[in-house]
Amino acid sequence: VHEHPVKLIVEDDLRRNRWTVFFRLILAIPHLIWVLLFSIVIVFAAIANWIATLVRGTPPAGLHRFMCAYIRYLAHLDAYLWLVANPYPGFVGEEGEYPIDITLPGPAPQPRWKTFFRIFLALPAIVLSSALGGGGSISYSNGKRRSGGGGGALSLVVAVLGWFASLVRGSMPKGLRDAGAYSVGYSSQMLAYLLFVTERYPNADPTALLEGVGRPPEHPVRLVGDPHDLRRSRVTVFFRVLLALPHLVWLVLWAVAIVFAVIANWFVTLITGTPARPLHRFVAAWIRYRLHVYAFLYLVANPFPGFTGEAGTYPLDLVVPEPERQNRWKTFFRIPLAIPAVAVNSALGWALFLSAVYTWFVALARGSAPWGLRNLSAYALRYDAQTNAYLLLLTDRYPHASPLEGAPEPQHEFAEAAVA
Amino acid sequence: VTARSGARAALLVALAAIWSVAAYVLWESKVPAPLRLAHLDPHDYFTAAQLRASASFSSFNDWMWWGSTAAQVVGLAAYARYGVRWARESAAGPIGTGMLLGMLGFALVWAVQLPFGVAELWWQRRHHVSQVGYADYLFGNWFALGGQFVFLCLALAIVMGLARRLRRSWWALAAPAFVGLALLFAFITPYLTPVHRLHDQQLRALATRLEQKEGVGRVPVDVQAVHDVTSLPNAEAMGIGPSRRVVLWDTLLDGRFSTGELKIVLAHEIGHLARHHIWKDVGWYALFAFPGTFLLALAARRRGGMGEPAAIPLSLLVLVVLGLLALPLQNAISRHLEAEADWMSLRTTHDPRDATALFRRFVPTTLDEPDPSTLDYLLQENHPTIMQRIAMAKAYATSAAQSP
Repeated sequence: VHEHPVKLIVEDDLRRNRWTVFFRLILAIPHLIWVLLFSIVIVFAAIANWIATLVRGTPPAGLHRFMCAYIRYLAHLDAYLWLVANPYPGFVGEEGEYPIDITLPGPAPQPRWKTFFRIFLALPAIVLSSALGGGGSISYSNGKRRSGGGGGALSLVVAVLGWFASLVRGSMPKGLRDAGAYSVGYSSQMLAYLLFVTERYPNADPTALLEGVGRPPEHPVRLVGDPHDLRRSRVTVFFRVLLALPHLVWLVLWAVAIVFAVIANWFVTLITGTPARPLHRFVAAWIRYRLHVYAFLYLVANPFPGFTGEAGTYPLDLVVPEPERQNRWKTFFRIPLAIPAVAVNSALGWALFLSAVYTWFVALARGSAPWGLRNLSAYALRYDAQTNAYLLLLTDRYPHASPLEGAPEPQHEFAEAAVA
Repeated sequence: VTARSGARAALLVALAAIWSVAAYVLWESKVPAPLRLAHLDPHDYFTAAQLRASASFSSFNDWMWWGSTAAQVVGLAAYARYGVRWARESAAGPIGTGMLLGMLGFALVWAVQLPFGVAELWWQRRHHVSQVGYADYLFGNWFALGGQFVFLCLALAIVMGLARRLRRSWWALAAPAFVGLALLFAFITPYLTPVHRLHDQQLRALATRLEQKEGVGRVPVDVQAVHDVTSLPNAEAMGIGPSRRVVLWDTLLDGRFSTGELKIVLAHEIGHLARHHIWKDVGWYALFAFPGTFLLALAARRRGGMGEPAAIPLSLLVLVVLGLLALPLQNAISRHLEAEADWMSLRTTHDPRDATALFRRFVPTTLDEPDPSTLDYLLQENHPTIMQRIAMAKAYATSAAQSP
């Protein structure tokens, strides 16, 4: 896989100023006005760039620079709005002066047919970008097209949760920061493609976008298996939803028993401080089974899964910890404590759905899943499993929202901040 | 070995005798045994244009049926030969893999039959019999396939679970299990059918009188709204015990049928309930289930038995072929039950004139052929032909006139 020419630079130190966090939206008003004006100009500039690129085969240097400045500016503004970074951004997209930055390639020849159809080719990326959030998403209001700094489900949730967390702690949780940075990075790649800065399609792979970012500490609930098996059977892909139906029915029936098991386990964990082993095993099997089914349904893995959620039976598997002591306060208040994680999980659900739809088309055509979308889906599934494991009392470790898989040894730069 | 073979032969004879006795009991009917139906000429009852229209409509449908059936058999034969390759797409155990192979087999059948279904829909829309849109048809068909997958998986879980435990004799337990499921579905179907109560007071009073006459007790009469998908008239009796009911399609109540004709329809459906036809249906199903599962078990042995996923593609083919072979017999049984319901209707209403009018009206409204060819009659007709139904009304009128 060739490196994407549009790269995300993350030099944020997670520290947040409580005052600027509290007034963030109001402080951003001048930027919001400015971005609106900037976007209007960009629409005309983009049309000019489109025609020039079609004629010359390469974008003109001046227009290219202008587009790059706009993309960088939107990345800075989004990072500021969504609390992915702390400092107040500049107004012209200065390069290398903001902790969340974008490096963009110089003007290069682009195939004319890709240029001609760019707006249509970019549509899937625009939709995914809207689900993730960040700048440049195109939204429609009362039938009129508007362009500019849009909002996506994931970024919005990250910002709202990050706002509360930053106010209380004076720092942004690393998981939320990484998720927000990923959204900003993907949106920038999408804009770079849309505005003819590059002909390379945006890469949804979170691990590639966050390449230079330290991995969070290893979570006790994590994915294992061979991620590189991207082969997909076209026939089972075509009928994937229907083939998953018996599993979904079984998942729901099993879930009925899980409700009672979790209630019983809640009492056991509250009283003894540790979940009952048989109940723990029963719930763990359900969560693992759910992962297998969702991995199959959302095309993150290829084979038809078994019905028992047995460990080691599926290419994308889940490691679940043995029963261990849990904090009784956390156990007692588990449902309210899980609400932020459920919110992030719901936001990621949209991205997962879109990723599956795109993968469906690609896998039907090529017989294999795209690596980037596969990793985005795996991220969403991992977070879903961690959320369920937390909510259903398998662990009292909070789900980690970072798109990066945890490292056995802490590699991240601010270990103390890596809680959420 | 000889003694063992003899014992087996004796057992087979005993089972055949039990089967025959059960079939005889189920075949028992209220239609008088010596009733001879006259052969009527359709031209005496229908205009040449009506006969031409119904012949043309049915002819296309017949071709589609043959094409669809042939495609199904050929598709499944190919699947039986090569389908086992799909086992590599499964990370499930043997039963889960069997489920996957079963579902893929059904998916293949769906795919090969889809063009015929679309062509048939085009034909029905052209004749204003169906109002279903092509997109609705495709999506509806798709979701219906999902429902089939769920039930198929349940069936395979039972069959393969038993086959892996009991080996060769799984069929002896699987057959009763399927009969139990058939009974369950017969019971719950009315609750799954979206209906509303019959608002027409006159018809409700009529239904109550007919229920009293046929001695079935209180049976709800409901209406199913189908007018936005079809113009075909239909009614059915469904349910057993407390779930029994009569369901009229709202296309029957759109003014094309007189109250007298609707009375015949109601009496016919109540006749089904009076003669316990739903129970008899399950009974017949049981009689076919035992030899059917046995033959399936026999065929599956070529691929290691029904407990092995490799046997599933072949089993699907065998199942379909057995179904096709049994089709003439099943249609004959169905026609027999329908004829009895017709007779019950005539006996309850004493109105052969309205019955004849109703059956005559079926030709322009359903475009059914009044007197189809013998092959179509054997393979596709699960009701007596319209000419047979008119002949029965005529026979009833004659016998009523002769009786004191």
